[in-house]
Amino acid sequence: MEKNTYYITAASTISHQDTFGKTGFSDSMSPVVPPALITPDYKAFIDAGLLRRMSKILRMAVACAKDCLAQTGLDQPDAIITGTGLGCLQDTDKFLNTSLTVEGLLPPTAFIQSTHNTMAGQISLSLGNHGYNMTHTQNTLSFEHAMVDALLLLDEGEEHILVGAADEHIEILSEITSHLGYAPGFPLTSGASFFTISKEKGEGTVARIADCEPVAFAKDPVKKLTRFLNNNSLEINDLSKIIYAVPGNANEGEYESIWRKAGLDPEKCINYLSLCGVYPTASAFALNYAVDLISQDRSLKNILIFNALRKENLGLTLVQSVEA
Amino acid sequence: MSVRITSIGVVSAIGFSVAENLQSLREGKSGIGEITYLEDSRPFLVGEVKASNADLKGKLGLDSSHISRTSLLGLHAAREAWGENKLNSELRTGIISATSVGGMDRSEVFYKDYLTQNNPDYTLLKTHDSGSTTERIAVEMGISDYVNTLSTACSSGANAIMLGARLILQNKLDRVLVGGSDALARFTIDGFRSLMIYDDQWCRPFDETRSGLNLGEGAAFLLLEGEKSIAFSGNKTICYLSGWANAADAYHQTASSPEGVGATLAIGNALKKSGIEPEAISYVNAHGTGTKNNDLSESVALKNVFGENIPLFSSTKAFTGHTLAAAGAIEAVFSVLAIQNGLVYPNLNFKNPIEETCLTPVTSLQTDIPIHAVLSNSFGFGGNNSSLVFADHA
Repeated sequence: MEKNTYYITAASTISHQDTFGKTGFSDSMSPVVPPALITPDYKAFIDAGLLRRMSKILRMAVACAKDCLAQTGLDQPDAIITGTGLGCLQDTDKFLNTSLTVEGLLPPTAFIQSTHNTMAGQISLSLGNHGYNMTHTQNTLSFEHAMVDALLLLDEGEEHILVGAADEHIEILSEITSHLGYAPGFPLTSGASFFTISKEKGEGTVARIADCEPVAFAKDPVKKLTRFLNNNSLEINDLSKIIYAVPGNANEGEYESIWRKAGLDPEKCINYLSLCGVYPTASAFALNYAVDLISQDRSLKNILIFNALRKENLGLTLVQSVEA
Repeated sequence: MSVRITSIGVVSAIGFSVAENLQSLREGKSGIGEITYLEDSRPFLVGEVKASNADLKGKLGLDSSHISRTSLLGLHAAREAWGENKLNSELRTGIISATSVGGMDRSEVFYKDYLTQNNPDYTLLKTHDSGSTTERIAVEMGISDYVNTLSTACSSGANAIMLGARLILQNKLDRVLVGGSDALARFTIDGFRSLMIYDDQWCRPFDETRSGLNLGEGAAFLLLEGEKSIAFSGNKTICYLSGWANAADAYHQTASSPEGVGATLAIGNALKKSGIEPEAISYVNAHGTGTKNNDLSESVALKNVFGENIPLFSSTKAFTGHTLAAAGAIEAVFSVLAIQNGLVYPNLNFKNPIEETCLTPVTSLQTDIPIHAVLSNSFGFGGNNSSLVFADHA
């Protein structure tokens, strides 16, 4: 069966790097510094009344979504699909706290905004969009699952899908991870990345999604990788770059040696966690990073995103440059 | 474009199996009562599954302490739906579950001790994330080709069923267990109370005096199979999923639009997809939560789509309570049972129709009507509206 082409017609990211509205951001990136998320002036994207009540994750998601539509000039996407590993933590934490400490009538706003689908709901509200609206939550593969859903919709005949992912860091997360002995080797951060994926390429479209596969309980990631590349008629050494997520330094050496053995220059392999930090849907940042790299250098024909942020899960996404 | 349903499983306040749920539905026996199993001493009315976590683990033969009630309920229903089916490396088998609370029941225990600095057990949080709820079920079932979780509040279960059907039709999977699971939690009880839509009396869907919902808990799964899987399993088709649609209301984060915009789109598009004419729908299993807002908006949507010829309809929420992400899946199982057994369930606690819309649901069990096609609605927070159409024919 002839494979469909899925063009990335817009991309937008808010992260701890200067990414929002900055094409070419990949040129000058240094390792992520934890404290500050670099945010735009949200008032340009969100009504002031709404903005006051919105948590970090909602602000990031709505701003990135609106930026994507502005880039494509679309009024409405056919569908809005989001992925989130941990959802709206700020409001969940807030309402849990209220519910356990306050007697009597509780303020409902935090509860209302605590459900995972608040992001997609707020985006549909802010656009007045009545299309398909979905939220995937499969920890470190939440974004890949959202992307697969978007590609399915294009196969079913839809034309423009707004798809993205976000997660937010809250204080208690650092405490919890240290108690649980989770040391990812990079700072815990927040981030949101949204995309418009379209059937037809637009003006200035530089990249497309060739394939995306979330793998549960990945026992032999290298075998899965080889099979994934074979399905796309590629070998490891055909890759222009591998953008990967491997936490800490434990397995990193293992993967690097595999890629070196396959003949890949270590300079072509980048651990994206060093750029965006650690959050469950960081692979969405990696996709925008890949698109941005291609926008600066069209000779990057095949970029693989290898998401092994959590060792039980493996996300594989192949991004290809589009002929100018 | 229909997809075969070959098996079902359910656990809810009205029973631990399909047979027990069916019996309660026939007998008009509600499972709603005062909180008994949840660690919460307040006298609220809830639809609890009548078992402690220890009982559930005993039934499932599990001894792990780190498993959320959401996973326990989900596994219980998934095992019933899976039945005697065998894993096979030639068949791509997936599982899609829906949940809104995930492991919140365990997280609350942690958080209470955390706030009082009473030696909190951080490992309880390992089951917090919704994805882990499904992974736990998948591990126990040995399913690994596709494992995913959807969380679109009260429409989640219906969305899991819809996504499974699409993956089968697009030949991404050969068979898939689809459904949802949600355990009761203090978090959601307090949440709906904070919105002042939690009824301290029995919920009364579609009644003029309705004043809110009673929360419930439970899980349900359906096995969807494609042709290749059927050829291998030899399973009999018990019902078809014929139509589905998902639409956004885009009106308010929690309230539904008075014109029922999203609901009308979801119902209308699901019918269109099924190719079944509105007048051929034998029964509507309504979302009918018992809140002022939902039931009015849903009534308006039914009128928008069906005009003056509204099919027999009822909400089964007064049996089970509102089970949030599991609701769409549990009610899908009830819809399949309605078709299999020629039943229309009573809408318990109904007395007088809503003044604005004047619709009267079915109030006593109907047993002598052939049920060929059923519409099931699931509407949720965030304006997430989904409808499914089930039929006895492809």
